[in-house]
Amino acid sequence: MTELPIRDASLAYLRNRIKVAIVIMLLAMGLLAARLWQLQLLRGESFIEMSQGNRVRVVRLPPPRGKIVDSAGHVVAENSPSFTFSIIPGELKDPQRLIRTCSDALGMTPEKLRGLLERSGTIPRFMAFPLKRNMSLEEVSLLKSQVTDLKGVSLEARPRRVYPWEETLCHVAGTLGEISPEALAKGPKLGYQAGDLLGKSGIEKEYETHLKGEEGWEKIEIDAKGRQLGVVSRQAPQPGADVILTVDAEFQRYAEDVFIHRAGSIVAVEPDTGRILAMVSKPGFDLNLFSPSISERQWKALNSDPLHPLENRSTRGLYSPASTFKIVTAAAGLAEDRIDPQHRFSCKGSLDLRGQVFRCWNHYGHGKVGLHRAIVESCDIYFYELGLRLGGDRIARWASHFGLGQPTGIGLPQELPGLLPTSAWKLRTYGEPWKDGETVTLAIGQGYLVSTPVQLAMMTAALANGGKLLKPAIVQKVVSLDGKMIFDHQPLVRSTLPLDRGAFSLLSEAMRDVVSDKRGTGKRCRIPGLNIKAKTGTSQVIRIKERIAEEDRIPYHERTHAIFVAYVDDQPKKFALVVIVEHGGGGGASAAPIARKIIARYYGRPDPGDPSD
Amino acid sequence: MPQTDLKPKWHAPRSVEWPLILISLMLSGIGIGLIFSATAPMGEVGRSLVLKQMTWCSLGLVLMALFVLFDYHSLDRWAVWFFAAVVIALVAVWGLGKVTAGSRRWIELGLLRFQPSEFAKLAVVLILAKYYQDAPSIEGRQISDLVKPLLLVGLPIILVLIQPDLGTASLMFLVAVSMVAVAGLNRRALLWAGGALLAIVPVLALVGDKLLLGYQKKRLITFLNPDTDPLGAGYHIIQSQIAIGSGGLFGKGFLQGTQNQLMFLPVNHTDFIFSILAEEWGFVGCAVVLILFGALFLRAMAVADQARDNFGALLVFGCTVILFWHVAINVGMVMGLAPVVGVPLCFLSYGGSALLTSFICIAIMVNVSMRRFSY
Repeated sequence: MTELPIRDASLAYLRNRIKVAIVIMLLAMGLLAARLWQLQLLRGESFIEMSQGNRVRVVRLPPPRGKIVDSAGHVVAENSPSFTFSIIPGELKDPQRLIRTCSDALGMTPEKLRGLLERSGTIPRFMAFPLKRNMSLEEVSLLKSQVTDLKGVSLEARPRRVYPWEETLCHVAGTLGEISPEALAKGPKLGYQAGDLLGKSGIEKEYETHLKGEEGWEKIEIDAKGRQLGVVSRQAPQPGADVILTVDAEFQRYAEDVFIHRAGSIVAVEPDTGRILAMVSKPGFDLNLFSPSISERQWKALNSDPLHPLENRSTRGLYSPASTFKIVTAAAGLAEDRIDPQHRFSCKGSLDLRGQVFRCWNHYGHGKVGLHRAIVESCDIYFYELGLRLGGDRIARWASHFGLGQPTGIGLPQELPGLLPTSAWKLRTYGEPWKDGETVTLAIGQGYLVSTPVQLAMMTAALANGGKLLKPAIVQKVVSLDGKMIFDHQPLVRSTLPLDRGAFSLLSEAMRDVVSDKRGTGKRCRIPGLNIKAKTGTSQVIRIKERIAEEDRIPYHERTHAIFVAYVDDQPKKFALVVIVEHGGGGGASAAPIARKIIARYYGRPDPGDPSD
Repeated sequence: MPQTDLKPKWHAPRSVEWPLILISLMLSGIGIGLIFSATAPMGEVGRSLVLKQMTWCSLGLVLMALFVLFDYHSLDRWAVWFFAAVVIALVAVWGLGKVTAGSRRWIELGLLRFQPSEFAKLAVVLILAKYYQDAPSIEGRQISDLVKPLLLVGLPIILVLIQPDLGTASLMFLVAVSMVAVAGLNRRALLWAGGALLAIVPVLALVGDKLLLGYQKKRLITFLNPDTDPLGAGYHIIQSQIAIGSGGLFGKGFLQGTQNQLMFLPVNHTDFIFSILAEEWGFVGCAVVLILFGALFLRAMAVADQARDNFGALLVFGCTVILFWHVAINVGMVMGLAPVVGVPLCFLSYGGSALLTSFICIAIMVNVSMRRFSY
């Protein structure tokens, strides 16, 4: 125990120092108390005055939100002046007088106003309770004369968001909504306050930081009764930047009007730049319903609609690409040298795979078919055979070359990646190995595989531009109010397809004949003088147990989705698009005519109508 | 007591340090009342915050009860592991962290959300207590005894700084410096340390200019002159001083603080809770709370003084300075004596991780105090 004395001495040393620390701590506490004494007792009077009597109040000046403008300069979203009349329950001393004097100016019966005042008791008494929103300048000036010496009321100018094109571009532009309490609690540094509006969907959400602007403030001198005496100093707010879209609203509206079916999506894109030319998601809704805020009844109606009008199907709709995917399988077969284009498979209408039978849509069979005819007539058996030669994972790899199974990065909120099944994915998800049956269904774009319309549009664009998979853009520019360019879209190539020229021309010729050949499945898209290349698809929604002759007898939700991809690459301006009609039947029958009308409009041609044969 | 006692580590409740427990309970009770008042204007959301704080409070009590059951000497063995775990968690925040108001501070573990930087303070105390316990010194320590521990605690401090959480980082730094100071330096080492500190200031200013975020710089500038930015960083200081000052001697009364009721202070239930106390309960209320804190520190230091070994004394001292610097910085901040750096007021501010850390500090003190007779 020789160590102990040293230990004790060291402990004694430590104890001495701790005593010094106690003194320092008590001194610090004394300093805090002294400061408190100074603030509360010595200068308390002046602070009480500041907080109660004549004082300077700092008022926020919300910045005007930036506009959303289409490529031709049409305004899609802008602000219009509007006023909100509110009461601050904690400061309102004479509600009876308010009811007496203001009910006329507000255009409300005294009973209704009384009811509103009663409801204002449910919110914190320091917060403004809006009695009437969306008041015009005339209404406000009338009201102002009535409430000059009334305490506890406030008239706040709050710009209202208006959308002159109403339903057009609704999913792209997106909506505004009040900031949620959770977001408010999390982000005081972002500069939002309760009741502030911010983007909830679409461009309004994605470009919130640019559109929002920076708030300013005003120091206002206020007398004991809360009346404003004058502005002491002021910092002007910085208006938000304008967002300029790649879409022309008139073209978009045309595309929306051509789409007469219940639900579906259209995405049109400029193949060389990735600029989106039209993005339709049906059904839609009038954006103005949400401004300044949507009524509960309307919200319920939109939210409970089985067709989900609020969902942007172009970026969030998941569809089997069906036979349009045969292009991918064909490209894989050519590039991986699994087929000779001249080689023909025999189609007898069905394929027996160890007892499991896979059918061709044409159950009489196509006979002996080569690659060209297999694409033109969309022969399933050919692609089953080709799929078996390639294997599921190789097909999946090619699908990912074409951008399937990953978000395109278009820059709209909550874009979905779709699903690209592989053997590893199957094992991970279901704990089962991949089967040949899944390979053949994948080869014709059915089964687990799902993709979004915008993915299919970019896939088609890659065919049209010689193999460049581009990042799509819906926003061309972001420009601040003083004309400074904050963002300017430049084409961005995500990857290049490893396909040679020969393979491209084979696919291109086959897709041309899908439209121009008399047996082509896409002949309803024919426009004289335009070389349209396309592929149809009919995506099964449920397993077909038996064939029903008449389409009309199938319930709506069990009907197949019609899919049609098309492009034009030999014109001065190239064009690619995808049309999806939910439960629309065959791709050639219902989606192709829509594509034809849109292409005709884009190239300024008359619509030739459906071919007679 | 006979030497054959088989349970030498268990003691009768009379040796439990009740004053510390009672004071911390009183303070958290006052805190819940203040949070109720601060969040009253938030309606439903406010009620749920009060409930959450009460839940955290009960959880803190349970944790404290569990914490006193084992002997604090085992912390000696755990110190390095705990320190390593905290550093790993701080690194993990980069990968898994939730971005809240622009900085990554949280790790989500199922239902639990925790902030590793809170535990980093405890890790600093533990590792320094361990480092200095085995090197007894009477004439004071060499400069070499300074380098190693400071390098060691520098790592978590930098990790917290880049989150970025300037408040916690500076707090950890102050705690580390306090512990080094109490462990003692000889005259030569003191001169070296002082010189190095002076030399570092211009370097810090240069690095700080690059490293600090816009809003952090703004806060430091507005601390010197609040009127430069009345709606932004300076706003809090001005409004907070008005709130405190207008409280006067007796305050405006519970729920009566017009200045405070969310209209003027956006984060009043967390960092600015003291302004509510000052406005609604006046000088008298503030004095009560400051006296409670003062008593807490005095009792805690008495425990440190009575500890039977260096490790225990340093541990208690470290826990005390954690609480002390929180109080000094936070109260100084709301009164305009320190820059606004986002440090909560222990026991009073809303927030689970901070409350748990405070209770753990008390638990460590109680633990050391209970075992002062056993050696």
